[in-house]
Amino acid sequence: MVDTALEKIVGSENILTAADVLAEYADISPAVTPKTPGYAVRPENAREVEAIVKWANENRTPLVPVSSGPPHGRGDTAPYTDGTVIVDLSRMKRIIRIDSRNKVAMIEPGVTFGELQAALAKEGLCAYMPLLPRRNKSVVCSVLEREPITRPGHHWDSTDPLLCAEVVFGNSDRFRTGEASGPDTVEEQWEMDRVQMNPFGHSHVDFQRLLSGAQGTIGIVTWITVKCSYLSKVSRSYLVPSDDIEPLLDLCYQLVKFRFGGNIFIVNSLNLACLLSSNHQEIQDIKKELPSWIMLTSFEGYGILPGDKVASEEADFKALAEEYRLKPVTTTGNASAAKASQLLLQPSPDPYWKTRYRGAGQDVFFLTTLDKTPDFSAEMNKLVESCKYPPQDIGVYIQPIVQGTSCHCEFNFYHDPAEADAVNELTNQACEKIAAMGGFFSRPYPAWKDIAYQQAAGTAEMQRKIKHLFDPNDILNPGKLCFSIPEVR
Amino acid sequence: MAYQDYTHDMQRCTRCSYCKWIPYRYIKNTDFMEGCPSVARYLWHAYSASGKFNMAYSLLKDRIEIDETFLDVLYHCHMDGSCDVSCKVQQDLEPLQLMQELRIKCVEEGQLLPVHMLVIEGLRKEDNMMQSPKADRGKWAEGLDVKDLARESAEVVYHAGCRYSYDEELQPIARAGMQILRNTGVDIGIMGVDEACCGGRAYELGYAGELTKYAEHQLETLRTAGVKVLVTPCADCYAAFKVLYDKIGKKPEIEIFHITQYIHRLIEEGKISFTKEIPLTVTYHDPCHLGRLGEPWIHWQGKETRAMGPMIIHDPPKKFRRGTNGVYETPREILKAIPGLRLVEMYRIREYAWCCGAGGGVIDAHPDFAVWTGNERLKEARAVGAEAIVSACGWCKRNFLDAAAASGDNMEVYDIIELVQKAL
Amino acid sequence: MKLAEEEYKALEAIVGAEYITREPVILDTYNQVWGNVFFFDEKHSVRPAAVLLPANTAEISEVIKVCNKYGILFKPFSSGFEYLSLSLANTRGILLDLKRMNRILEIDAKNMRAVVEPYVSVYRLQLEAARHGLYTGRIGVGYSAGVIAAECCHHGCQHTMVFTSGYGRNTLGVEWVLPTGEILNMGSGESGGDLFSADGPGFSLRGILRGRTGANGGHGVVTKASVKLYPWYGPPQWEQTRKPGEPPSFGQLERVPDGYRVFVPSFKDLDATLEVSEELCRAEILYAFGIGIIGTAQMQEGNDEEWAMIQQMMQKGNQSFDPASGISVANSVVCVIGGRSAGELEYKEKCLRVITGKYGGSFSEQFNEPGALARAFADIIWSNGVNLRATGDFLPSSSSPDGSPAMLKKLALEEAEVKRRYEESGAFLSMGGGRMVSWRPEEHLSIGAQGISTAQYDPYDPASLAAAREFIDKLFDPRSPFNRYGVPSRGGCLQIEPVTHIHQNWGRLYDNYDVYLRKIKKMLDPNTVADWTAFIPPEYPDYAKDGDYVLPSYGKEEEI
Repeated sequence: MVDTALEKIVGSENILTAADVLAEYADISPAVTPKTPGYAVRPENAREVEAIVKWANENRTPLVPVSSGPPHGRGDTAPYTDGTVIVDLSRMKRIIRIDSRNKVAMIEPGVTFGELQAALAKEGLCAYMPLLPRRNKSVVCSVLEREPITRPGHHWDSTDPLLCAEVVFGNSDRFRTGEASGPDTVEEQWEMDRVQMNPFGHSHVDFQRLLSGAQGTIGIVTWITVKCSYLSKVSRSYLVPSDDIEPLLDLCYQLVKFRFGGNIFIVNSLNLACLLSSNHQEIQDIKKELPSWIMLTSFEGYGILPGDKVASEEADFKALAEEYRLKPVTTTGNASAAKASQLLLQPSPDPYWKTRYRGAGQDVFFLTTLDKTPDFSAEMNKLVESCKYPPQDIGVYIQPIVQGTSCHCEFNFYHDPAEADAVNELTNQACEKIAAMGGFFSRPYPAWKDIAYQQAAGTAEMQRKIKHLFDPNDILNPGKLCFSIPEVR
Repeated sequence: MAYQDYTHDMQRCTRCSYCKWIPYRYIKNTDFMEGCPSVARYLWHAYSASGKFNMAYSLLKDRIEIDETFLDVLYHCHMDGSCDVSCKVQQDLEPLQLMQELRIKCVEEGQLLPVHMLVIEGLRKEDNMMQSPKADRGKWAEGLDVKDLARESAEVVYHAGCRYSYDEELQPIARAGMQILRNTGVDIGIMGVDEACCGGRAYELGYAGELTKYAEHQLETLRTAGVKVLVTPCADCYAAFKVLYDKIGKKPEIEIFHITQYIHRLIEEGKISFTKEIPLTVTYHDPCHLGRLGEPWIHWQGKETRAMGPMIIHDPPKKFRRGTNGVYETPREILKAIPGLRLVEMYRIREYAWCCGAGGGVIDAHPDFAVWTGNERLKEARAVGAEAIVSACGWCKRNFLDAAAASGDNMEVYDIIELVQKAL
Repeated sequence: MKLAEEEYKALEAIVGAEYITREPVILDTYNQVWGNVFFFDEKHSVRPAAVLLPANTAEISEVIKVCNKYGILFKPFSSGFEYLSLSLANTRGILLDLKRMNRILEIDAKNMRAVVEPYVSVYRLQLEAARHGLYTGRIGVGYSAGVIAAECCHHGCQHTMVFTSGYGRNTLGVEWVLPTGEILNMGSGESGGDLFSADGPGFSLRGILRGRTGANGGHGVVTKASVKLYPWYGPPQWEQTRKPGEPPSFGQLERVPDGYRVFVPSFKDLDATLEVSEELCRAEILYAFGIGIIGTAQMQEGNDEEWAMIQQMMQKGNQSFDPASGISVANSVVCVIGGRSAGELEYKEKCLRVITGKYGGSFSEQFNEPGALARAFADIIWSNGVNLRATGDFLPSSSSPDGSPAMLKKLALEEAEVKRRYEESGAFLSMGGGRMVSWRPEEHLSIGAQGISTAQYDPYDPASLAAAREFIDKLFDPRSPFNRYGVPSRGGCLQIEPVTHIHQNWGRLYDNYDVYLRKIKKMLDPNTVADWTAFIPPEYPDYAKDGDYVLPSYGKEEEI
């Protein structure tokens, strides 16, 4: 029975109760055993979100904010308690403003990468992209979840490209972070050339850092501003193939340190094949022709001398590659650098690239430094062998972040959906191993959050205290991160 | 001047802490970036020059008294002036002068360190800072065929100073210095048993009256002796004759030379040339009193005024002593002229040289601190690959010898006179 | 107020008798800082009850536990240059001088980070990092200033932020002794890994570590931090030399180091200057950038020499002091580019020349002769410090929020109008009264810029001091037209909370941020033992005296 107060807030048409519709919000991750949500509400604006959160506090009803479309696979939006109400933000799809001069876009949570890119392109801009996100992935969600972007040179801080945000905290206070804070409406701020681009603060607190990586446990974000890049007028891409990952890492360090190149990452042959092809057979064919590791790098020309920029970076890149006895190519086997690079500008074409090889994929990702990645890779190979999982079916994605000071290291255990349980067990073992080796689970999704927090007792304790300040009634996404599920509702 | 006359400086010390380090433009090795031995060793801010400004201001405001701690802090300081140079890179302040005035105030108020009292008693009684009999003053020159200016006349007086005169290990150096000059035909003599202390060290301890007394005595003696030039191997004495006497209005009417300056002149005139090789890698330690503290005194009288609104300027413009015109190049040129000798520079040199540790009465009152400071310098000498450290002051050599003995360092310690003598 | 014997002994037992003092003579050297007169009428702020020199994290933790047990206020500091680093709310406060914690624990050249203790200065890290081909950003308050103060606890990054960022965005790991005495390691450090990430698991505790400004000791002690480093294109060592007979302040680079090029273009007016500045910053070619400060002139020995030089230039009719007539400091910018290869430098220079050409830029001989460029390079890359010599004091970052560049221009010009009155009256140092705007771009201007404005006055001249306070009162009045540009003094520079009441007055205008800040303070520090004077009190001690506005309370020296 839907509360009439809630109906008043969003209108009955925006309260979803049908079982088949609610099933869309279910999480397919074997790591969670989700409860069925009571219903889903679809607010249209921040005012409605604020009212929903107020209502939830009054009724002690847990809320799970969701902004991306299905399928949900990381478990972070899976309801853990009965009667949970999903706050589906996908109706909030406005691209509120694009400031081309300052390269800032203000967007609501329902905006997808495809939509944002199209709008930005008209202004000569493009978004900082994670690696081929799902077509219906929310930009806001991706940014808040610190998904790595493929352009490490522009990734100054782990929160990038997040700038400012408007949020409704768990206590229903509406708040704007950074430069967006103040007595004026955002429109009034624009009139005085205040474009919500500066992320600091307010004051002695960086509030946006409490939202980033929070999996919706602190507040429901109703818009964010993101920094964007210029759309390239000239672009050149290379694949740098190598059977030995070490020289690729050396080259990668140099490129990122000196900020040569736009997109820079390393994948193994299987993942490059998955990115480039849409079906199992083609993937295998492409993979066959590839060396074990490939670094993709692109040189992006924009600004007043786009051609010169590319030429200059390219020359340094080639000289560096030669130092490490690497041979950058535009194609290798059936893989084309240009094609790969084009793909990076958009979400993944369907089917989602991580499902193309065997129908499903379990990701395990963590942070480390580039020089440690070969050790992790070797250990993963050993581990899967002991678990009778074919090593050749592991995808690897190494993404330098924060300007090369660390990297996102990701193993994809591709599998038949029917093998989910076995892969789940493998995932557990892999996570234990990674943690023991110093891998850092900065983004603790349910599959490894317990392992992550086993080594972060101090952080967990502090996060619980902070959570209490912003969400005293544990309304928001209970059970996630280090937060327990309140027993009595 | 009195310490209150530095109120402006007390108020305007910003606490930037530049006084703790050598001027940043010249930092080459971060292991040797500290400039002030006192705060480097004792850590509390009070031990820095900035801390002294603070103490003085609190004293002025009756927030504190001169007590045991005050004296302890004030006298755990070599008065080496490194802080003064660093401060003046950024500010128009006079930390060293303020510290000097604070010491003078302590003495005036009878707030004395017992050890220093003994030294001063010795000075008053025996005219030297070594607590030794006056009668032994000229012993270092025994056997030398040298004019006694009490009885004879000469153009140049050789003033050995207390340290060289009484420190048995250093007496041969005083002799060597004398011989070098005499052998080149310089018309030179000594005051022998009548040589008295310059008063410079006593002044640094805060006994301003002793400086006046000895300055007057020296001026009178020099006048009587009819000399035209004073040469001293001691950097402390040099600074007293050259700078402090002028500061208190008793500038000698004769030329004042440190022995390195005189030797340098003789080299330039072709009267000294080195013939023997000394295959040794040495580093030169700038004695504070020959270097930054040896800079001539600058007299100024005028008033503080304003420009561009509240900018603080002076009428007439005031020139600050920033250590620039100390004696730095001369001893180096002597060393460079010695065949086979390789001179390597330490990280802290010239205006921003680290003190040897002997200055400011520390060698008497706080010998452990003196040794610590000396050892820091020996470490630096070693870090630049020197086999030997060379100075141009008896106090430096004494303290380096003590420091090396205390720490077991086998770094060779030379007075520049010794090397000159060897190379002739 | 003195500590009871039992309290003192408890602290002494932790650090040892050698490293604690309650001697008034020494204590009173820990409460005298430039700027104090502005707030407290006196150069002395509250005298601490004791000062300690702890050796390590464990000692600090134990000390803080004792503070909790007895209700003693504590505040840590490194160089102690800022008045807010030594201010205490009451006389039962102790200071932790972190001088003994002075090690660079690690420089991981490959992963471009350094792990340092609190007393490691920015300049020292610059020197050490250069040996590894790395660099940490420039800070504006001189070479004593600490890395941890800049990155984690206070404020203060400057002209290299265009390339090296700042304000805590470079923090990759932190060891933090909380006001309860518990030790928190953030991020990968706690998980047993290297200090490469301070974020998580989950949301980042960097959010409460600091914002635009740090807690200034108000929420514990950062005892170790891992900070991001950036490429250094220059030599592993450098030397600043001078001619014989020149004072130490004359030391300078002979030329701009290989790997860098410096340009000082000038433009016809301020609007063109700001337009070109934005475009240059967004071109991603700059390593350092300065507007309104060029550093090409030889640093003078002292004020008298400075004044003589200025008079000489004015007599010559030098245009740099006549902004209306052409080439001026206000309309000139310093651009430093760096590159690993000749090709990279060529591209960046070409780009710079095309952009400056587009806006009619010219390269005057005066600003662009090799010596001038080398001086500008040294000035903008290393930390020569705040010039307090001229008048004895200054008002740093009076309004000065960070934000969008065009907004900062509006703010700067409006503020300059207010300031002009005081310059004309002789209360503030006058530089000729030309239109001037200074902002410091952050990350190629992709996240905005740091607004900066200063006024130099003499705190010991009653008229000048009164003018300074009147000026600040105007800017800090939340009812003024300035209330839309951001909370003033967000760097915390003029934020001695019991005096200027920034949080109390402005919080409600800015999304009630202060309410959360107070809650965070209470959560971290349940017994209120971490000094809050430069952070936030758990409860506001002053009541509104003029409607909702709490008037500044200058002169509360002994018991603020």
